Amino acid sequence: MGARRLFACFGVEFLHSFRRPLFIALMFFLALTAFGLSSGKMQIGSGDSSVGGTKAWITSEFAQTQTTTYLTLLYYAFFIAASAGLTLLRDREVKVDVILHATPVTPGEYVWGRFLAVVGGFVVVMVFQAAAMAFFNHVVPNAAATEIRGPFAPANYLMPIFMIGLPFIVFYAGVSMYLGERTRSAVMVFVLPVATMILCGFWLWTWAPSWLSLGLNRALQVLDPSGYRWLNETHLKVDRGVDFYNSAHVPYDGLFWLNRFWLMAVGLGAVALTQLSVARSLRGRAKVKAQHASAATETVATAPGEAAAALRSLGMTSGVPTFLTAMLATASAESRELRRQAGLYIFIPLILMQGLVNTFTAMGAFDTPILLTSGLAAAGVANQTSLMVCLLLMFYTVESLERERASGIAPILYATPLRTAAFLAGKALANAAVAGLILATSLLACFIAVLAQRQAPFSLAPFLMVWGLLLTPTFLAWIAFVTATFAVTGNRYGAYAVSLGILILTGFKSLTGHLNWAGNWPLWNAIRWSDLGFLETDRLALVLNRVMVLGLAVFFAALAVRLFARRGPDAVRTLHGLSPRRLSASCARMLPYAIVPAAACIALVVMVNQGLDGGVARKAQKDYWAKNLKTWFDAPAPDIARLDVNVKLDPRRHGLASQGTMTLVNPLDEPLARFPVTGGLHWEHLAWTLNGQPYKPEDSQHLYVFTPPQPLAPGDSVVIGWTFDGRFPGGVTRSGEATDEFVLPSGIVLTGFSPSFIPVLGFMEKVGETEKNTTEARRYPRDYYLGVTRGGYGATAWFPARIAVTGPEGYAFNAPGVCTSNTVTGGQRTQVWETDHPVKIVNIVGGRWEKKQGEASTIYYHKGHAYNVDEMSATLDAARRWYSEWFLPYPWRELRISEFPGLANYAQGFGTNITFSESIGFLTRDTAESDAAFLVTAHETAHQWWGNILTPANGPNGDFLSEGAAHFSTMLLFEQVKGPRGRMEFAKGIENRYNNARRPDDERPMYDVDGKGRYDTSVLYDRGGWVFWMLYDFLGRDQAQAGYRDFFQKWSTGRDHPALQDFVAAMRPYAADPVAYDAFTRQWFEEKAMPQYRLSGARKSGAGSAWEVTATVTNTGTGTMPVEVAATAGERWRKVKETGATTYEQDPAYRDARTNVVLAAGESREVSVRCEFEPEQLVVDPDVRVLQLKRKLAVARL
Amino acid sequence: MLSIQGLTKIYPGPVSALNGVDLEVPAGMFGLLGPNGAGKSTLMKILAGLLQPTTGTVTLDGMDVLRDPESLWPRLGYLPQEFGFYPHLSGEAMLDHLLVLKGVEAPGGRKALVKELLERVNLTFAAKRAVKGYSGGMRQRLGIAQAIAGDPRLIIVDEPTAGLDPEERLRFYHLLSELATDRIVLLSTHIVEDVAVLCPRFAVIRGGRLLALTTPTEARAAIDGHIFEGTVDVADLPRLRAERTVTQALLVEGRNRARVYEPAGAPPSGFTPAPVTLEDAYLVLMRLGTLPGHELQAPAGQGSGL
Repeated sequence: MGARRLFACFGVEFLHSFRRPLFIALMFFLALTAFGLSSGKMQIGSGDSSVGGTKAWITSEFAQTQTTTYLTLLYYAFFIAASAGLTLLRDREVKVDVILHATPVTPGEYVWGRFLAVVGGFVVVMVFQAAAMAFFNHVVPNAAATEIRGPFAPANYLMPIFMIGLPFIVFYAGVSMYLGERTRSAVMVFVLPVATMILCGFWLWTWAPSWLSLGLNRALQVLDPSGYRWLNETHLKVDRGVDFYNSAHVPYDGLFWLNRFWLMAVGLGAVALTQLSVARSLRGRAKVKAQHASAATETVATAPGEAAAALRSLGMTSGVPTFLTAMLATASAESRELRRQAGLYIFIPLILMQGLVNTFTAMGAFDTPILLTSGLAAAGVANQTSLMVCLLLMFYTVESLERERASGIAPILYATPLRTAAFLAGKALANAAVAGLILATSLLACFIAVLAQRQAPFSLAPFLMVWGLLLTPTFLAWIAFVTATFAVTGNRYGAYAVSLGILILTGFKSLTGHLNWAGNWPLWNAIRWSDLGFLETDRLALVLNRVMVLGLAVFFAALAVRLFARRGPDAVRTLHGLSPRRLSASCARMLPYAIVPAAACIALVVMVNQGLDGGVARKAQKDYWAKNLKTWFDAPAPDIARLDVNVKLDPRRHGLASQGTMTLVNPLDEPLARFPVTGGLHWEHLAWTLNGQPYKPEDSQHLYVFTPPQPLAPGDSVVIGWTFDGRFPGGVTRSGEATDEFVLPSGIVLTGFSPSFIPVLGFMEKVGETEKNTTEARRYPRDYYLGVTRGGYGATAWFPARIAVTGPEGYAFNAPGVCTSNTVTGGQRTQVWETDHPVKIVNIVGGRWEKKQGEASTIYYHKGHAYNVDEMSATLDAARRWYSEWFLPYPWRELRISEFPGLANYAQGFGTNITFSESIGFLTRDTAESDAAFLVTAHETAHQWWGNILTPANGPNGDFLSEGAAHFSTMLLFEQVKGPRGRMEFAKGIENRYNNARRPDDERPMYDVDGKGRYDTSVLYDRGGWVFWMLYDFLGRDQAQAGYRDFFQKWSTGRDHPALQDFVAAMRPYAADPVAYDAFTRQWFEEKAMPQYRLSGARKSGAGSAWEVTATVTNTGTGTMPVEVAATAGERWRKVKETGATTYEQDPAYRDARTNVVLAAGESREVSVRCEFEPEQLVVDPDVRVLQLKRKLAVARL
Repeated sequence: MLSIQGLTKIYPGPVSALNGVDLEVPAGMFGLLGPNGAGKSTLMKILAGLLQPTTGTVTLDGMDVLRDPESLWPRLGYLPQEFGFYPHLSGEAMLDHLLVLKGVEAPGGRKALVKELLERVNLTFAAKRAVKGYSGGMRQRLGIAQAIAGDPRLIIVDEPTAGLDPEERLRFYHLLSELATDRIVLLSTHIVEDVAVLCPRFAVIRGGRLLALTTPTEARAAIDGHIFEGTVDVADLPRLRAERTVTQALLVEGRNRARVYEPAGAPPSGFTPAPVTLEDAYLVLMRLGTLPGHELQAPAGQGSGL
């Protein structure tokens, strides 16, 4: 291999690279991205999220490495593939390869020169990216991001390039070059980035179920070409503390080097194979020539004199083909070319696999698997499907338009009377068939996924609705846009650069929540499916959006037809054409095509601005917050003594009218001069009364301040009344976001948490709060709970309520209490609900339901969602029975769950009246590891006690007594109803969730957790549930239950609300050993204990019935807990089928022998277990009784 | 009648590819001769409506084809100098596709017509074969088949015999001659023999300017009696070139066999009068920029002719 010739091949390609629009566009996007990231949009998930806490720096080597792993896959992959994959193809197309290979340049010099040029070019781009990052982080830094910026260290920016970027470039460039050379198909070079995007984006980066073995996890880390999984699993998930991430270099381990090695090896190997292929094809030319020679010989057989009759005799005529004929002929020729491209046969299985993985792994609340109905499947994979279709349409459209030039037929074809519009339409039609094929493949995946569940029937209608009706305009507009881009830029690189840029920009906007109906052309995250009703909240916005996109399709199609260059332009004429007068005339000709999309876009902008989260609403909420915060945040408020409300609903019109009274009493020891109530933005025709007389309160941006004629003396009461009506929701969302409360044809959900149907007493601190405009975190002292503490939500005191709901006859309406009247008059049903025991918060839920009556409860469900109703009903009954026994007798007569459309995914437990979104419980799917319907029902029913009967304090750790305690109750119920395995599997599941979410630096002791930390949710639910269960286990069943009953007795009445400290104090008398109890509660509540056990040197010895297992157990975590170590043999659980349901019982063949060990943090101890059977494995904590990190490391096979 | 007036094409650089070409082309076969880079292909592309000129007009039977190329294309048969086909289509399918796009019909139906045309260009044996497997000559013949299809008023063929063996070349001559009886066939080539055989009239273009517009007979007559042939030593050839207009010099058996143009009628020693060919006339034109008795082309836009 000659260095000079190699360098010559390198130089031509390298210098040419930087003149290509592809490179220029990539650098432009990277500069934009660097600017965007300088505000901290991508951070290491570590650090203290509280004000003034140490934050993770975006300038650290860890942060830059993380950013590089994302950018390489999302940005570089496609650009490298295009650049490397097309470099040899381009030489073939312009026939320069023949000349090159007639020179002394060897295939090796040629291929390696080109490869090194591509790699070199992208390394330069990466250095540019690093420079841009450094520039925006350190030279012109974002003023709002001072906390997340560290000192400048060049290595932080350069190391990721060489450790993450370079191997990635080598791999992609090598493989793409090989694919381009072998297949000679431009589309095929994109197989690798598409495949890895599917693999990583939809699976490899995020998939880490609790049952995933360590070995398989490591294998997946090695497999990931971006390196992100390795970084996340090895360093980020472990969370070594923000100081470590901010200052340390990334420690590269064996797994990393293995990952980098195979990338480099495969990349370089692919280049070597490319070299062989090029060399072979050169030799192959001789064969081709030989064939041609023989073909020429055949021609001699016919003599020129035999040229039959005169051409005139053929009677040929010429004309202009009709549009349809020409379009179909073009489409036919194009599709014949497409059918012969290998790309389709590779992309299709990839998309099928992606569809199957996505549908099978779809997760709902508490990571429970979702039971997919056809509608959920259609909407659930719509994002990925539309992304895939858009990507492939881009490749196929660009290559299709390039085909005439590349094949050389352009001068012949363009000189025919074929109309340009027909030609482009024919191309679009053929490429649309590609989209159809992809959709059919995704449909097949959904079909398999839905049927494999053996529960929900398959229906084509939702797919036709979502993919056909909604996404087709997107695909048409995209084809037209790509065609227009090709027509404008005149080459494939320009078209790729612009089109990829638009996709990346749209994706970035979508991920950062900046897309709205006016800009969301692909409808990413905008299709919120419900089996109960189709897109009712945003239907008008959706229709306008589709009109806009269809209008854009027409506009771009017209632009493409106008600018598509069948005729070579003349530079002088082009310059003249750019004169203002001619340019204006050209624009005027395009104006009619722009009217529809522009009008629709403007209408959408206005609608969004006036919608639920639009500028108007945000300003009103911000004004509410700003004007009232200081005055009313901690102001004393009266208690509700009685609520009486009549609500009239018109679901078809989203209409709501409310008229009611609220009796308020002064519970304070001093007079109360005035008090506020919060009203809704959707209220119209509002009128107030005070003690039955018309009254005009002070309107402070929807906070209505009442000032009675005389201050309310302690114990005095006053009655406020209101009437209003309105539409609810009163506008559209920004881009299909969740809607928590609504009056819609598919269902009604109204709660007292917001002023949807009644005023909310007092100031609502969360309304109008934004990231920039936030309530300064309050510094709660540890003893904040002393004295009377107000409740975390709802009213401070119990109150009786009467709620009358009127609506269409076909609906049923549920509210807290018992239904005392249900009448139908003139097609209108009126149901009156009265509380048989006071409540602290109320709600209304309505729908057209079926009803399942249990022993002491009722389920109201959509008629197509009966799948889990029997189990939910049984669970509801069991929960009512056992929670009543363990905590406090259930005070209300009725208990019911009502289903509402999945416009938001949540469940809420109001007194007697629990509401479930359809995807929670009703559409969950049980698996061996997850008894999903049981779980969510048990959890939400527990809130009747933990939340309603006993309302926790408003302050740090209060939510543990709601969410953590509900998870704990669920564990108890699992054990009670499903047996020990049920509890163990649930416990392992939430332990795994906590392990994955946990960030020690961000996590505070349970006493201090206020829900404002980024990862507090898992601490509140999962760690909270576990710690409550360990405390229960520590106290012993009888003692613990006695303690709980006393705790409920004491705290379920009165105006004081319990914090965690109150709970700990309440349970202490029930501890057999108060000192040990204090030690236990100190490490779990006041500190952040988190054991992690490791087994090492495990071995067995003995024979027959005398075996001994020895091993060293180490607590590499923190905290001190007694833990069992068991030597086991055989599978512990076996399936038992009982009347169709699968349960588990302990297998009689299972054997174990145990010993106990107590290890402080960092302590090791050798343990030995004697057993009468040959042991197969040694397990720490076989009964899943101690919360710990990485449980899988605490098992050793013998 | 194809009428070209003041046609100029300037590429960025600037490079003047055509410099005010004026030409009237009547029905029949018309040749366009010129060296490589003379501007022939640029002129062909402009005439085919595939390239915008900088200035000038082109009309076909009074119709402005530059302003409205769409009206030209139904009446055009075009064989470009460089072209290809969809590689995976068979020759038959490719031709059929192009006939559809050209709106070509025949009483016997399009499928039968495709077979007939393939027969005319001797490609029947390869009709079902994918075009990517065709040799250069076969591709050229398929190109010819599509160019002659239909009832074009104007047929433009740019270097059509490149890659054809002598037999196929003759077949092509036959086809073109037949077509040229009632339509305009514009043959662009640098092979003088093609013009000599086929074209009653031809133009010579060089450096974007028209040098001559004549007939083969007149061109030969203009230099008749002034071409001499003889042999010279290799060492003497430079001197001969300096003193005389040498049109050709071929090294044969160690000595140069040279042909010289001698307008004064006094040949070099040892040279004898030789029969005149059109190639001689063309080469004289290339050396001197004109032929005796023929005016040089006037400056751009002022027309040219004999």
